[in-house]
Amino acid sequence: MTTNVQGAAPRNRTTPTTSAPTLHRPPADGLAGLAAMTRLVIRRNRIRLLVWFVVIVGLFAYVGAYYKGMFTTQKALDDFAALSNTPGIKALTGLAAAPATLGGAVWTKIWMTCALTLALGVVFLVTRNGRADEEVGRTELLRSRVLGQHAYSAASWLVFAGLCVAVGLFVAVSSAGLGLDPAGGGAMGSWVVGASVTGVGLVALGIGAVAGQVASTSRGANALGSIVVVGFYVVRLVGDLGNGALTWASPIGWGQEMAPWGANRWWPFGLLVLLAAGLLGVAWSLEARRDYGAGLVPDRTGKADSLASYAHPLGLAARLQRGPIIGWTIAIVLTALMLGSVVNQMSNLLKDAGTSTSAILRGTGIDALLGLMAGLVALIVTIFAIQSATQLRADEATGIIEPQLAGAVSRKRWVLQRLAIPTIGAAVLLALGGWVMGAVYGSTVKDASQGFRIAGATLAYFPAVMVLVGVAILLFGFVPRLTIPVTWGVVAGLWLIMLIGDALHLPTWVLKVLPFSATPDLPAQAMRWSPLIVMTLVASAMIWVGLQRFADRDIQPG
Amino acid sequence: MSAEMAIEVEGLHKSFGHAHALRGLDLSAPAGEVTGFLGPNGSGKTTTIRVLLGLLRSDSGRVTVLGGDPWTEAVRLHKDMAYVPGDVTLWPNLTGGEAIDILCRISGPLDAKRKATMLERFELDPTKKARAYSKGNRQKVALVAALASQAPLLLLDEPTSGLDPIMEAAFTESIREVKAEGRSVLLSSHIFTEVEKLADRVAIIREGVTVEAGTLAELRHLTRTQVTAALDGGPDGLARLPGVHDLTTNDGHVTFAVDDDQLAGVLGAVSRLNPRSLVANPPSLEELFLRHYGDELAAVNNGSQK
Repeated sequence: MTTNVQGAAPRNRTTPTTSAPTLHRPPADGLAGLAAMTRLVIRRNRIRLLVWFVVIVGLFAYVGAYYKGMFTTQKALDDFAALSNTPGIKALTGLAAAPATLGGAVWTKIWMTCALTLALGVVFLVTRNGRADEEVGRTELLRSRVLGQHAYSAASWLVFAGLCVAVGLFVAVSSAGLGLDPAGGGAMGSWVVGASVTGVGLVALGIGAVAGQVASTSRGANALGSIVVVGFYVVRLVGDLGNGALTWASPIGWGQEMAPWGANRWWPFGLLVLLAAGLLGVAWSLEARRDYGAGLVPDRTGKADSLASYAHPLGLAARLQRGPIIGWTIAIVLTALMLGSVVNQMSNLLKDAGTSTSAILRGTGIDALLGLMAGLVALIVTIFAIQSATQLRADEATGIIEPQLAGAVSRKRWVLQRLAIPTIGAAVLLALGGWVMGAVYGSTVKDASQGFRIAGATLAYFPAVMVLVGVAILLFGFVPRLTIPVTWGVVAGLWLIMLIGDALHLPTWVLKVLPFSATPDLPAQAMRWSPLIVMTLVASAMIWVGLQRFADRDIQPG
Repeated sequence: MSAEMAIEVEGLHKSFGHAHALRGLDLSAPAGEVTGFLGPNGSGKTTTIRVLLGLLRSDSGRVTVLGGDPWTEAVRLHKDMAYVPGDVTLWPNLTGGEAIDILCRISGPLDAKRKATMLERFELDPTKKARAYSKGNRQKVALVAALASQAPLLLLDEPTSGLDPIMEAAFTESIREVKAEGRSVLLSSHIFTEVEKLADRVAIIREGVTVEAGTLAELRHLTRTQVTAALDGGPDGLARLPGVHDLTTNDGHVTFAVDDDQLAGVLGAVSRLNPRSLVANPPSLEELFLRHYGDELAAVNNGSQK
């Protein structure tokens, strides 16, 4: 892995710093060793780069080919466009600028997923090669050689910008190749859709780069970067449901407003590239100012003694996860506030529009929308719960589990107390998110009961969340090294199947048995207890079996 | 199982996949004594200690710690044990003081006075966040936590790595106190002087097997005394005496090794040659150790000559 890296560039160069002992380093010095670092970044990430590329381009091409075969008449496209014109679709994926064209149908189905996947992927990749390396000291080894201050960061930015361009290019090529453009109209729409994915990815690159300079830990950088990306998604969600003004407040919205197969605008792409460049510039200047290993917030001293409660696994976990718990609570309350207020706008729109819109929504539109939003809150709570549950494995991987288990604590007690955080946390956050959303909506329709009604709808997702926690604990017991990637893979896979499951030719029973779809869609549907009871049993069984296995296996660091 | 043994291990095997880390290891640590546990990197010291803590399960063999099975009775036994890992990982966002309290309280009540004494002795600032500590300071956190406890058995895995000589002296003092209180210590190390100073008994392992075990006096019996004498008349046949090895002459000084059971006869022969001076050293632990790893050392030397 290091053969092509350690030799070559840095050592062959003469050291430029020896000649001029000035306070400010010459700008060119910052990039010394860029070529070698670029090769290192590619070598270290080649599998990851390939996976993200294949998944995103593959998703687009797959849905494109599937729709190409399905929508053979304009009538079919018109029907699809009418079906897509619901608040739910608008909120989740946005509605295409030209929904009744083949390209537009594909856009509605998969563009948002591709753009968000690329954005989050790029944030994680930038952190992995930036803050994470700095945190564990790998960057220190590199920088002790003749290497510019910015060379390693710039190399990773270059490589991941390359990933964004390659993804956009191949989305465009597959779109044109599949013939998603209208006959005789040229391939402009294909190029615009490719560029819009690239543009969103580049902005995410900037976000990840800045997050890596601000936060002093890789966990913090990943959290900050992905919260900003998801925040932009929620902002555009609210914008798409309202008058569209807020859509322009989000770079993801700019990507949407490039309107492939509609207005085919190029100038929002310019905005995206400018914002990305600006963010990278900020990251560059922060990196030039700060000390190696430091974030923007300096370390403070703390207490010389700990509370007695930290001696219990639960007390300690609550203290260690205090930051994430507060952060997720704020994130969920804010999301619920925004979602709840959008429902208000929608109900006004419905009243203005009169019967025709109500007919489309079959009178249950508000409840369907509330149900969808309850599902969104549940998804955010799931991310919190999985993050907290996979922390068990993270403790084992870093080795910090050893001094804890060397104390007078049984393994089962350790796991069960630690699990109290995702379990109780998920229940409280679901209830809180649902209640805030319902109360905000209720205040606009003068119905005080809405808070508890929607809290009930979100709480119905509790068994589904616990099934995923169960998956994490089962993996933790049997294949600890796979716990973190596979659990997140399962969450991402479930989300993807919910979005495009119908295009994947999966049997209906598979779609129905998945935790989120098995949960009754309250308040639009009637309450059904049996799936909730079954999921509770499944979750308990997985946790119990995983726990038995963990109590009976070797501790496996790293 | 005699009550006098803090640790008793017989024929311990442990594999990780195809890697056979422990191949029938024996180890006994009497209660109230310091047992040195020596071996080169990768010989299985840390794996053994993890088995003793119940973090790893033995494949076969008998392991008894404080009269109990470390795997099934881990919780009960850990109340009476304190552990210092070789590579200390701490919670980066907690202070060193908080980490010490947590580690102490998981096993038993916190003795605030002992904690303060140890913090002072090891000159550790408990208000700093763990991520700001150097390796040596992280090591001190684990040491203070272990030494502040009243645990009857201490498992120390290369506890002084990263400590400066003054702190090593503080460590030595602390272990002597622990021993005076009648507590038991298993001290894994590859610093010979430290083990020689502190240990009553030593076990030397190699590739997962115990190659030598016993008190230091017993082990020294197995080996040779190094003798240097200034002989104006030359060695004159000393090399042919039974028990004399590796004789070299340099500028009137004759140096050789003697098997301990032949020492009296050889010294008699030397005295007949009228030595101007005579120095005899008992074998150091390092020599003992090197004897068992001599072939590896030879391989290293051959490699460096190429």
